[in-house]
Amino acid sequence: MKQKAPKYSLTIGHLYPDLLNLYGDRGNIACLMKRCQWRDIEVQTIEFQSEDTVDFQKLDIVLLGGGSDREQILVCRKLKKIQADFRSYVEDNGTVLAVCGGYQLLGKYYETREGRIEGLDLVNLYTEQGEDRLIDNIILESPLCKMPVVGFENHGGRTYINNNRPFGKVLYGSGNDGKSGYEGVIYKNVIGTYLHGPLLPKNPQICDHLILKALERKYGPAHLEPLDDIQEQEANTYMVQRLT
Amino acid sequence: MNIRKILAVWAAKAACGACRAMGRQGVTWAGKLALMICPSILREMAGEVRKKIFIVCGTNGKTTTNNLLCAALEAEGEKVICNRTGSNMLNGVAAAFVLAADMGGRLDADYACIEVDEASTRHIFPQFTPDYMVLTNLFRDQLDRYGEIDITMDILKEVIHSAPQMELIVNGDDALSACLAMECRNTWTTYGISEAVTESGDDREMREGRFCRKCGARLVYRFYHYSQLGDYSCPQCSFSRPPIDYDAQEVQVGEQLSFSVGKEHIIANYRGFYNVYNILAAYAAGKNAGLPLKNFNRMLKNFRPENGRMEQFRVQGSGVVLNLAKNPAGFNQNISAVMADETLKDLIIVINDNEQDGTDVSWLWDVDFDRFGSQQINSITVSGIRCQDMRLRLKYADIPSLLEADVENAILARLADGCGNLYVLVNYTALFSTRNILKRLEESRP
Repeated sequence: MKQKAPKYSLTIGHLYPDLLNLYGDRGNIACLMKRCQWRDIEVQTIEFQSEDTVDFQKLDIVLLGGGSDREQILVCRKLKKIQADFRSYVEDNGTVLAVCGGYQLLGKYYETREGRIEGLDLVNLYTEQGEDRLIDNIILESPLCKMPVVGFENHGGRTYINNNRPFGKVLYGSGNDGKSGYEGVIYKNVIGTYLHGPLLPKNPQICDHLILKALERKYGPAHLEPLDDIQEQEANTYMVQRLT
Repeated sequence: MNIRKILAVWAAKAACGACRAMGRQGVTWAGKLALMICPSILREMAGEVRKKIFIVCGTNGKTTTNNLLCAALEAEGEKVICNRTGSNMLNGVAAAFVLAADMGGRLDADYACIEVDEASTRHIFPQFTPDYMVLTNLFRDQLDRYGEIDITMDILKEVIHSAPQMELIVNGDDALSACLAMECRNTWTTYGISEAVTESGDDREMREGRFCRKCGARLVYRFYHYSQLGDYSCPQCSFSRPPIDYDAQEVQVGEQLSFSVGKEHIIANYRGFYNVYNILAAYAAGKNAGLPLKNFNRMLKNFRPENGRMEQFRVQGSGVVLNLAKNPAGFNQNISAVMADETLKDLIIVINDNEQDGTDVSWLWDVDFDRFGSQQINSITVSGIRCQDMRLRLKYADIPSLLEADVENAILARLADGCGNLYVLVNYTALFSTRNILKRLEESRP
């Protein structure tokens, strides 16, 4: 029997998992990989350690995770080297998921009590350290999907997104700054968010959104086969019902 | 005579008795009540310990290490008080002392072996200063409760500074624990394993503290035992694994554990490589305190874990093993221990997200569950409050599972249709209730 060659192929770049790996980010990678594989989309993940150089031209989806404050300072030194290439990738509609510390690093800076951590300045936003940490389950209504978005937030920073679109409206939890009622940011094909849990497994439509955007950028108009998401939906619905 | 103190002891004993009669644990309640009646009771009673006070801290292995140390001292004929059940916050620690007192409020103890939750050390140290602190390891655990490891390390550093006479016994294979000891001025002793024992593990395993805490360079490892435990050095500055005072050699891991330390050959009937560290820590602590520990092997032979740490049950013809697994490092070690049993087995994984468990379950994705995708596994059932998350975690490792939120129903179902060899892995708040279920089932003859 002749095997059909995969129609599509994607490469995921996981930036600095050695430093930014705090909240189950591997789950986001596993979710992206499996949901591609289950659809016969060829997919590979390249992990870039903090010494490695990153060739953004080869990447279709970039994942930037969260780290401890100490590790985030180590990371931001390395990030300067890739800032220009990363910016071209974003402006060229490259797909990015940036979570927690990674979300903060998308912005201009993170002002902490110990000093300012310079960000990548890819999206017009900034973060200031708040009095206390915002820690709880969180539920959003997002324009990117029909299902509510569920996750967990744990952040000391308060992020201000200026005129950018938020990732979602907060139905339960604190969100960007605990006041605005919004969470995260959407800029071109970039999603920045405080949600881990990890984000993607219980929010498969967000995962599919990232995959679709990456395919469209590479191949033009694309279509994703639907998958059996009953288990994902049940896990999502359980949290929504419990909290609202 | 101190009426308050006696009253506190009576009240605590009564409260604990009442809770037990209702099938609840009651230890922390008893401690809380005693402290309410007599706020100085912990300080006073700690002062009545005739010889030394040990405390055991660290993310994983506290309860087993502390109970082993207690048993080792008792085997030498010493009278020891101990918070055996693992109630390790202020109330639980107070209870260990109060419940051990006689009705006149007097304590009869040569030693105290007390495990203390790292964050609770801040509340314990103002009450009494231990003579020794055993630090088992530092892993990520319940980030929503404790924050990052750096915060835990800061707390420990602060309390260690407040007790300059206290000696530290640290796991030298853990760069974080060793670094903490180096940064404090206290006298310290190390234990560790200087040769690679197992295949050096999965590269994807979560490792803490990959970067030198002194200069920020990436640490270089000669080998890993598991997680970040291993033989490390910094390529840029002088930081490296310290010399090991109690070095386990000829380590054998299988149906039983054995190793040599100094001239002593130690054999234990437990599984799980991590138990080498627990046994070694208890041995190092006892020896370092000047005890001969002549009866250590005999103690190990008779030591029965009775608190859901690889605890064995016999229910309706099936062998059942209950084990606590509450963070990625612990869970990965559990998986190794389960897979070391090469016979067919059923598995139940119980995940709760109560406050004591940590309400954030994202850590499940840092555990290498892929290793359960093997012929040795007859079935996996997910249970507990967050069974849906656990099912999804397994789905994305291509491992199918059965879902039964109720733990007792899950156990009964697998006893009925399973292969007769059942492992139940639970996180913290599921431990006590699951243990009760298994004990009840074991005692009720069909």
